[in-house]
Amino acid sequence: MRLIIRDDPAAVGDYIASYICKRINGFKPTQEKPFVLGLPTGSSPIPTYKRLIKFVKEGELSFKNVVTFNMDEYVGLPQDHPESYHTFMFREFFSHVDIPPSQVNILNGNAEDLVGECKAYEAKIKSYGGIELFLGGIGEDGHIAFNEPGSSLSSRTRIKTLAYDTILANARFFNNDISAVPRMALTVGVATVLDSREVVTVVTGLRKALALSKAIEEGVNHLWTLSALQLHPWALIVADEDATAELHVKTVKYFKSIERVQEEVERSQELLKAKEGTPQQVGSME
Amino acid sequence: MTSPNGLVCFTNCLLPQEDGSLVEKDLWIDESRGVILDAQRTFFLRKERPARIVDLGGNILSPGFIDVQINGGYGFDFSVYDGDDDAYRAGMKTVAERIIETGVTSLVPTIITQESALYPKLLQLLRPFSTPASATLLGWHAEGPFLDFNKRGAHAHPFLLKAENGVKTFEEVYGAENLAEAEDWLMSEDHSVGVRMITAAPEIEGVMKGISTLSKRGIVFSIGHSVATSQIATSAVVKGARLITHLFNAMPQLHHRDPSIIGLLGASPHLASQFTPVMSHSLNPRQEIEATTAADMAAEQPATVGSEAFDNIVTPPQTPLFAENHSGSPASNSGGNTTPVSQGRPVTWSELNLKKGHTVHMGFERPFYGMIVDGIHSHPNSVRLAYSAYPEGCILITDAMKILDPNLRDGVHEWRDGKRFVKEGDKLYLEGTTTLAGSVVTMDTCVRNFSRFTGCSLGEAIKCATYNPAKCLGIEKSKGTLRPGAHADLVVLDRHGIVLNTWVRGKEAWARSK
Repeated sequence: MRLIIRDDPAAVGDYIASYICKRINGFKPTQEKPFVLGLPTGSSPIPTYKRLIKFVKEGELSFKNVVTFNMDEYVGLPQDHPESYHTFMFREFFSHVDIPPSQVNILNGNAEDLVGECKAYEAKIKSYGGIELFLGGIGEDGHIAFNEPGSSLSSRTRIKTLAYDTILANARFFNNDISAVPRMALTVGVATVLDSREVVTVVTGLRKALALSKAIEEGVNHLWTLSALQLHPWALIVADEDATAELHVKTVKYFKSIERVQEEVERSQELLKAKEGTPQQVGSME
Repeated sequence: MTSPNGLVCFTNCLLPQEDGSLVEKDLWIDESRGVILDAQRTFFLRKERPARIVDLGGNILSPGFIDVQINGGYGFDFSVYDGDDDAYRAGMKTVAERIIETGVTSLVPTIITQESALYPKLLQLLRPFSTPASATLLGWHAEGPFLDFNKRGAHAHPFLLKAENGVKTFEEVYGAENLAEAEDWLMSEDHSVGVRMITAAPEIEGVMKGISTLSKRGIVFSIGHSVATSQIATSAVVKGARLITHLFNAMPQLHHRDPSIIGLLGASPHLASQFTPVMSHSLNPRQEIEATTAADMAAEQPATVGSEAFDNIVTPPQTPLFAENHSGSPASNSGGNTTPVSQGRPVTWSELNLKKGHTVHMGFERPFYGMIVDGIHSHPNSVRLAYSAYPEGCILITDAMKILDPNLRDGVHEWRDGKRFVKEGDKLYLEGTTTLAGSVVTMDTCVRNFSRFTGCSLGEAIKCATYNPAKCLGIEKSKGTLRPGAHADLVVLDRHGIVLNTWVRGKEAWARSK
């Protein structure tokens, strides 16, 4: 696993967006072989989305050959409700980039057969050959997607009951009316995330500091589902300074030293690739 | 240029919202159906996104302006009919096609007082009208003939009428079929909307009786060319009057003891629900004014030229008329039993309101009010005063005459009957005089003026030329808004409020030449 630390959320967004841009362009996606991208909602990824939109507007990046899968959606909330994840994704991202609507996948929380919806979602991901890069965020309790504390680390896309903390945290989006917050969501599972070839996670803000420390400084634990990333061969966490508040100085220093080495390796691989023409994945340095 | 899939996305623009704010957001329209789209639904349900993207370079994309009071333009006068239907229709077409350069995409042609025999014909001709690249004429606005002699402005006084038999008289004059409950053209085909408006003075005999019936038939009743007292004006609103015609003009000036029609903008919740029906014996302002101004009028020439909105006589006495002549106790004159303390009667009042910024329930909604914001018909201070009192009701109107044409150069122009006028910017004088000959202001100028006069934002000024008039007419679902499903009548303004492009029903119909 790698941990990249930047000054503030905007710098974190810039870093991740540049990274994704490089990955998509390096992948050279086509209609036959699209780049499959997993996407989150929430406030943390907004700076990343903003920067990605800028890349598209400047012509440096296109989503024409990108297929997206979103992590989750509330159950029973109308699709055009201001707080639905459909609305969020459209408002913050899809309306501003050139992605064809047919290549966007978001779980349908209003499906009659919710279990069938989840199964079909997994199947659809498989039909594309799996997710190339899953971008994620975490909750204060360390949840990735809606995989609340206690979720199985080998879970798949399914119906999930939201934890009380999450309901409280989301109440601010529903006029502070706890009873109006949906209690259920459809979400990809921890294993769905782990199945993707690469996972990139945004962690910003002081309130996420404890979750970050639990996820990377302690053992794999279903009470902090992000910790499952420790088992992933190609995982990247990008955090701002605030989010590192609970980490040991030693941890921070170690990850900062990795960054330099990673850059060197990537550069030499790039040269090699140009010379030999064989695409080689760099993967993650440890 | 059309879009391959018929959808257009406007981007890099500010969208005026219904609350007067400007929001940076994209707008999606369907150019073939000519409607604004719910972008999110189009994306997720129709699985489509616009193939054509229009970058507006940070400019403002507003709903097209709506002018609910306009007498003519580009040489055509809606009130002049010489027996030739085709010529009249050609005139309607000219105005509709050319007015879009001023950002107006919907207008209500206004007919000033006519010989009564002409009304049925004219109103019949003024059905909703548009061509694919023109503004929409929404219907008609009959200003007169039930107006007060003393505030008739340029309306020809021999044609002024009373409405002795209430609605029946209205029907006789305008034509019963034109006032029908559901005129055939009001039943919307292809989402079109039709509107009918009547400006009348509620103190004229029989008018008050007609207001509720007319309002129930979907006709917007507007108070204007009137000397109504506060009580009469309030009663008219209670009965359904929705608008005040060119506020400040052709009505008594604001007097604190009886603020009359203008006072409706400040209608107090304390009084609104207390009003009792008007007592005709104690309140007959007509008689009183006639008595006090008879001498002035005798000497006066009949007005044939000049703005119809202006008073052409000395404004009647400023002191409330009823207080002057019915010298009872002030309490009994100012609305009856609304001052319980002075009368020493025990009255049970509800508890006082404890929530700041929260007005207790009003007995009625304050009416909308039209203002000619040319800097002449109302002083900028008056404009701001009215807007501060009741921003939600403010509607910008041009009340423009047929000489309206922004391309007309300043200088001397021929008018009619051998008369000539001098155009000086938005001012229009009779040659050799300082007599204002009416309004030639364009709506886009009104919007810019309004923002400067009141200090409000451009977005708030736009609201007064779009959403507010649409709401007054009851057509805010399809005009004057950027809501999904509304007509894609759009105007692009730069940040100085200058019109750059006008779109009509989804297609670009006019562009400023570079």
